[in-house]
Amino acid sequence: MENQEIQLSVSEFIDLSNQVLDGAFPNVVLTGEVSSFKINQGKFVFFDLKDDESTVPCFMMLFSLRHPIEDGMTVAIHAKPKLTKWGKFSLTVQRVRPVGEGSIKKSYEILKSKLTKEGLFATEKKRQLPEMPKNIGVISSVQAAGYADFIKIIGDRWGGMLVDVAQVRVQGDVASEQIIGAINHFNQQSVLPEIIVIIRGGGSADDLSVFNDERLTRAVASSRIPILTGIGHETDLSLVDMAADVAASTPSNAAEIIVPDKNDTIDKVADRMRYIVHKTLGSVDGILAETKNCLDKAVDDLTARYDEYVSQLGLIEGKLEAYNPSSILERGYVILRGDQKVGEQIGLETAKNYIKAEVLHVKSK
Amino acid sequence: MLNQNNNSETINDKMIRLNSLVSWFESDDFTVEKAIEKYRQAEALAKDIERELNEFKNEVKVLKQNFAD
Repeated sequence: MENQEIQLSVSEFIDLSNQVLDGAFPNVVLTGEVSSFKINQGKFVFFDLKDDESTVPCFMMLFSLRHPIEDGMTVAIHAKPKLTKWGKFSLTVQRVRPVGEGSIKKSYEILKSKLTKEGLFATEKKRQLPEMPKNIGVISSVQAAGYADFIKIIGDRWGGMLVDVAQVRVQGDVASEQIIGAINHFNQQSVLPEIIVIIRGGGSADDLSVFNDERLTRAVASSRIPILTGIGHETDLSLVDMAADVAASTPSNAAEIIVPDKNDTIDKVADRMRYIVHKTLGSVDGILAETKNCLDKAVDDLTARYDEYVSQLGLIEGKLEAYNPSSILERGYVILRGDQKVGEQIGLETAKNYIKAEVLHVKSK
Repeated sequence: MLNQNNNSETINDKMIRLNSLVSWFESDDFTVEKAIEKYRQAEALAKDIERELNEFKNEVKVLKQNFAD
C-alpha cells in the first residue's frame, strides 16, 4: 500500500494538490512585509509577503484591497494557498490590513490623501443634524462599554425616542462589512431614521483600524441619512469620522450632541414663563401708574377749579356785604321811615335800635 | 411612548407653540386683557412639556438582522 503509485494527469495533480491545500489551510492568516507590490490592468494586485528567511507570492483582486498598501509595510493577510494551472504556487488573498503603528499610519495617510482629493471630506458636504430626533439608528456592539454609555446618557438627557440598534462587530476583519451592511439597512428603510450614530469605545490603533477602511469610509460619505460618529480615540480622527457629518470625540459626547438635556429645556420653559409673568405684571404696573397719574391730574384740576370758585365767591361775598343794609347801619347810617314834614311822626333804624321821633324842622339841601 | 402625545404633537412642536405665545407677549398685539388667557395657555403648555420630559422613556430595540458578510 505504501508504495502504491498514483497515476494522475497534470491537471488532476494540480486539482488534488489544491484540495489538499484547502483541507490543510482552510483559513490561514499570515503576517509579513510587503514587497514587489504592483497592480495590473487596474484590477489585479500582486505582491510578495516575506519575513527574514522566506517569501511567498500573493495575488488578490483590487476591489478586495480595503487599505492602501505599499512595499515595506507590515500586513496581515487572510488567504488560501493555491497551485495555479501553470504550476506556480501563490496565496490568493481575501483580506489584507496593515499591522503595527507605522504601517497603519502610512496606510491611513495614503488613503486620507486620496479621499481628500475626491472631496469625500469636504466641509460643504456636511449636513446639519436634526435637533430633536424621534427615530435614531445606532450601529454598535451592544457589549461595548461605549454603547452602554451612549444609551444611558441619551436616556438621561431626553425621552420618547425610538432607538433601533444594529448589532455589529466594531473591530476585526468582518467589522467593516457588518457596519456597511448596517448603514445600508438603515438607508433602505421605508421610514428612514433621522440620524445614524456609529458608536465604538476607545482602543488601540489596530482595534480602530476598521474605521480607516476605504469602503466603509465611502459608505459613510454616501449615506442618505446624516451620520454622527462617536468613536473613542485620542490621536488622529479616523477616516470614517472625517467622512461623517459630525464626529463626536467619544460615545458620551455623541449622546450630548444628538439630544438636548431635558433639564436645560425645562429651565428654558421656566425662563419663558418668568418672562411672561414679568411682562404682564410690568404692563399692569404701567397701567396702574398711568391711571394714578390721570387721577392725580384730575384731583389737581378739581382743586384748582375749586380754589378759583372759592376766590370768586369771596369777591361776590365782598360785594354782597357792601350792599348789605345792616353793614351800612353798622357804619353809622340810619334808615328813616315816614313823611319828612314838621310835626309828623317818623321811624328811625340804627344798627342797634328802632327809634320813634317827631319832625321838628325840615330844611331843603 | 414616543416623543408625542395623543395629538401627535411633539415636544419640539410644543416648544414652538410656547415660543409663539411668548412672542405674542413681546408683540404690539399685547394687551393686559388678553394676557391672562394667553398666560393660562402658556402655563398649561409648560406643565405638559415638563411632564413629558420627565415621564417619557426611550424605546431601544436591538435589530435581529445579521449584518455579517
